[in-house]
Formats: sequence, C-alpha cells, structure tokens
Amino acid sequence: MLDLTDDAAAMLLGVLCRHTVELLGAAPTPLRHIRVHIGDIGVELGWAADRPPGGALGGAPVREGRRDKDPACADPAGADQPGVRPQQEDAGSADQEPDIVCAPTVGAFYRRAEPDADPFVELNDIIEAGQQLGILEAMKLMNPILAEFPGRVVAILAEDGESVEYGQPLFAVASC
Amino acid sequence: MFSSVLVANRGEIALRIVRTCRELGIRTVLAHSAVDGDSLAAQLADHTVRIGPASARGSYLNAFAIIQAAIQTGAEAIHPGYGFLAEDVDFAEACALHGLAFVGPPAEVVALLGDKTRAREVAASAGLRIIPGSPRECGTAAEAKRVADEIGYPVITKAAAGGGGRGMTVVRDPREFSRCYREARATAKALFGDGRTYVEKFIETARHIEIQILADSHGNVVHLGERDCSVQRNRQKLLEETPAPGLSDDLRVQIAAAAVACARAGGYVGAGTFEFLVDQDDEFYFIEANCRIQVEHPVTEQVTGMDLIREQLAVAAGARLSVTQEGIRRIGTSIECRVNAEDPERGFLPTPGVLREFRPSAGPFTRVDTHGQVGLRITKDYDSLLAKVVVWAQDRHQAIARMERALGEFRVRGDGVHTTIEFLREVLSHPIFRDAKHTTSLVEQMTSSR
Repeated sequence: MLDLTDDAAAMLLGVLCRHTVELLGAAPTPLRHIRVHIGDIGVELGWAADRPPGGALGGAPVREGRRDKDPACADPAGADQPGVRPQQEDAGSADQEPDIVCAPTVGAFYRRAEPDADPFVELNDIIEAGQQLGILEAMKLMNPILAEFPGRVVAILAEDGESVEYGQPLFAVASC
Repeated sequence: MFSSVLVANRGEIALRIVRTCRELGIRTVLAHSAVDGDSLAAQLADHTVRIGPASARGSYLNAFAIIQAAIQTGAEAIHPGYGFLAEDVDFAEACALHGLAFVGPPAEVVALLGDKTRAREVAASAGLRIIPGSPRECGTAAEAKRVADEIGYPVITKAAAGGGGRGMTVVRDPREFSRCYREARATAKALFGDGRTYVEKFIETARHIEIQILADSHGNVVHLGERDCSVQRNRQKLLEETPAPGLSDDLRVQIAAAAVACARAGGYVGAGTFEFLVDQDDEFYFIEANCRIQVEHPVTEQVTGMDLIREQLAVAAGARLSVTQEGIRRIGTSIECRVNAEDPERGFLPTPGVLREFRPSAGPFTRVDTHGQVGLRITKDYDSLLAKVVVWAQDRHQAIARMERALGEFRVRGDGVHTTIEFLREVLSHPIFRDAKHTTSLVEQMTSSR
C-alpha cells in the first residue's frame, strides 16, 4: 500500500483521472468498465471483447479541458508542479481533461440524501447542469453539490461519508 | 493535557506550535490554505487539512472551515497563533460553543481587553496611568477634534478594534485633524470591520516596553519580565530585547506590577502582553493588551527557560501555572531580529518571490524560528515575516555581537526577494542603539537621514 499524505493522494487521484479521460477520448465506445485506484496506483479501462480499442490517438474530438477557477481544486500544489498534467501524445491529440468537481469547503461528503436512499449519481451516469451530485456537510449545514455543466460521471473520487478537504476532487465529469 | 490540537495558522508560528505539541506528545492537526500544503509545519504535523484558498479570508480567517476541520479531525483544542483569528471574540465563542478549547483567553476577556477603549478603562480602574485621550471611541469628527484640541497636538488616532500597529495616524496640525480622523475611521472600518476610533496624545520620544503575563483559570497571575520593542517602523516592531536596557530596576518592578494588576482586573487567563510607553521622564503609560502569544515571545523564553506555548496549552487545558512568581528567574540578555521579506530601500515594500537559497543563522545560543526553505513561495497573501533570529548571551554587549555574527551568516536569495537583514545590522551598529538611548523614533531617524 502506498504511504501517501492526503494531499498527495488527492493529487494522484486527479492525475489518474486525467489520464483516464485522455484514454477514454482515444478509445472507441462503449466502455465496459472503468476503475481508478489509488492504493496500487491504477487506471483500468475495459471494453467489450468484440470491440477492442483501436484507432489512432488523436481521433477524438478536442475539447479544452475545463479547469476550476481555484487552483486548489485542479492542482493543489500550485501551477508549476511538475508531472501533474499528462503529457500530450502529439499536437493533434486531445488535451481533454475531465472537469473535476471539488469540495467547496472542508466537511463530510455524502453521495446520498439519507443512508437508505440511492446515490444521487453513479459512475457513468449522464448528468445535466444543476443536477445534484452529492452533499457536503459542514457545521451541520447540508450543502448540495451541484453539477455546473453537463457530462458523464467518469470517476467518483471520494467515499460516501468521507471527511474531505477544501478543493478535494469529488467527481470527474467528462463532456459527452 | 489535550491529546490533539488543531493549529489554525501558518508560517513560523504554526511550526513553533507544532514543535511544542510534538514535545508534549500531542497529536497535531494543521489547518492550512491551498498554498501552504508543503510548508514545514505541514510536514511536521501529524495530520493536515486544507481549509480554503490562498486568500486569508477564505482560509486562516474562515472560522467556519477551521472549526469544521477541528471537529472532523477530532481535535480537542484550537491554537490560533497570532494575527488572523487570535483575538477574534466571535471565533473564541464559536470554539466554546462547539466544545473546543480555544488556546487563548476566554471570549469575554478578549472582548474586554482586546478592545482598546475598554482595555483603557480596565487599566484606569486598576490604577494605571493611561495616555491622555478620549475616554472611549469618539463619535463625530467635531467631537474628536474637541478631544484632540484639549489634549494638545500631536495626537494619534487609533482603531478600537485595531492591532499589530495598523490603523493608526499621527496628526500634528489641528487643521488636518478632521480629515485625518474621517480617513482613520474609514480605514478602521475597512481593516477591522469596525470603524470605532479614539484619540490619544502622541508621545514622540518614548520607549515601548511590554510585560509578558501568564495567568491560569485558578486566579494565579505571574509576569515574566519586560521586553523593549522600541525599534519600530510605522509601529511595526523590527527588533526586541529583554531585559529592557536603560530601565531602572525600580521602574521595571513598577511596570510589571502594573501589568499584573491590570491582568487581574481584567480577569486575564492565558499568555498575554501588556504594553506601555515610557517617556523621557520615566513616566509610564498603559497602551494596550495583546490577548495572544506574541511574535517576540522567544526572547522571554530564552531568559526564563520557559516554553510559553507549553504554558498556554496547559492553561487552556485547565491546569495551574507550572511556576510561581518567586520561581521565575531571568538570566542574561536575549535579542530578536525580525527578518522580513521586504526592501528597506523601497520603503520596506514586501518583495514576493521564490527562495532559491536559504541558510539561516546557527551556532551557539542562536535560535531561528522560521518556515523558510528553498522553494518557499513568498506571496502577497500573507505578511512578510520570514524568520526570527533570536540570540542569548550573558549581557547585552555580547548579545549584540552575537546577533551581528548571526545575521552576517544568514543567507537568503530568491528572485526579487529582498530582506531586512542589512537594515537590522545597521540598527545593531547604530551608536544610539548600542548606547541604549534609542526610542520609538530611531528607525525614522535612520531612514530620514539616508
């Protein structure tokens, strides 16, 4: 098991996420499963057996990855931290980063409205702008976490009930 | 004693607090902003929580996030350090409300003594001489002008909620008063969210002497002697020393007794400082109380051998003071120099940048409290204090020589980064300082003669 500080773990998750989405952009759909680890590093993508990944890198539509206004979210350590952004494969490849939805404050992150309820969103769900993704409880106040933009949930980066920090990545959302 | 303490500060003081906690076996949680996650304090803390963005308003001044961070990490107490929320009554109250111990005086004491006008009343009731001025905050400019005319110019306007030397204006010309007063109120409102302003006689040639107090919640109050903080620029301290040179033993005892009396009158609990001006006739006047640990506390630690952060934590946990007045012995002289990332050649303008080389002073009886390290990014988000160089020696003469040696060794280099090191060396070699004849106007004399 990796011995990481919370900061490093959050950063690593962000990196994994971005790599994952880069791979996604280069791969044919539909995807069968996706897994983003942190314990043994990770990124695992699975396609249906009859549709192996193929095609040239760079074939995906290019969309400028959206970065949160606050650098703490997308890049907690600062703008010039080396190795955070995935390298571009070539000039034509997609620099497509997922939109990372981050915790707006410290608090407890919940994926559902109450313990017995279904989660607000699941992996691979298509979401709309304004849709509730989760709850951040701080000082007994329940703050809804809303999607700012439409897309597909490509990673859920915090556990249900986990104590999170300000700016900690919670969801990765890729544009459809 | 607490088993877990959240440190709600940054820079050298966060590191200072974390270190004492480690010595006491207390688990530390450092609440930090988005840009301080790599700090030395963060590296030494057992746990870190990012509480907000770089801007202090969203992080170190964000009481909501700090208390939430303490709750979710299981901290029992919050140490606010100095500045930020250290003297914020609402924050102290909010801590208590959430079952967290605030490492500082109780909220009601901060409300009383942290407010300059109310503190003056407490001091006066305890028999202390206060600087002539308005009894409380002045209302209109006309009302304030009447007070100023009565006490005579120059006068100084001060923000009732102010601190750290900010929000003060000296007025020498009566015709300027009304305009300055209105500006002072607007500045106070902007800086402290509280426009209340009062007027005092401005004493030009004076020494700034402060008394370190320790008090517990069982009614015990002791003092740890005085510090001379006369080397100031725009009421920002640059160099502090103890014992105060050129102060008679009789006067020393009187001022300390006055501070203890004031602390008792205000129901003080914790570590605190009572500040005085001593004029040329050796008359001393109470100025204000600082309800927190102060930047310059190490000089007191060096001569008493006491760890003031440890005492703060113990008192906050309800313990009795570890010492009696008779048990406090002060040995030798200690001087502190504040190394700020500022350019003295450009009016002490802060100089942000990244440190490329950082080799602090070391050697015998030399202590450097600093968060500096190669790669540290000094930003405009926070104050410019980079390091405190503290030396101890058997007497003042040796202490000055030691400080000169220590500052001479200190190497700081970074793109665009300047420091006050050379300026501090000039102060140390200044004949008036060496003769201990300096007052709070020394730095002004030095910079105006350039």
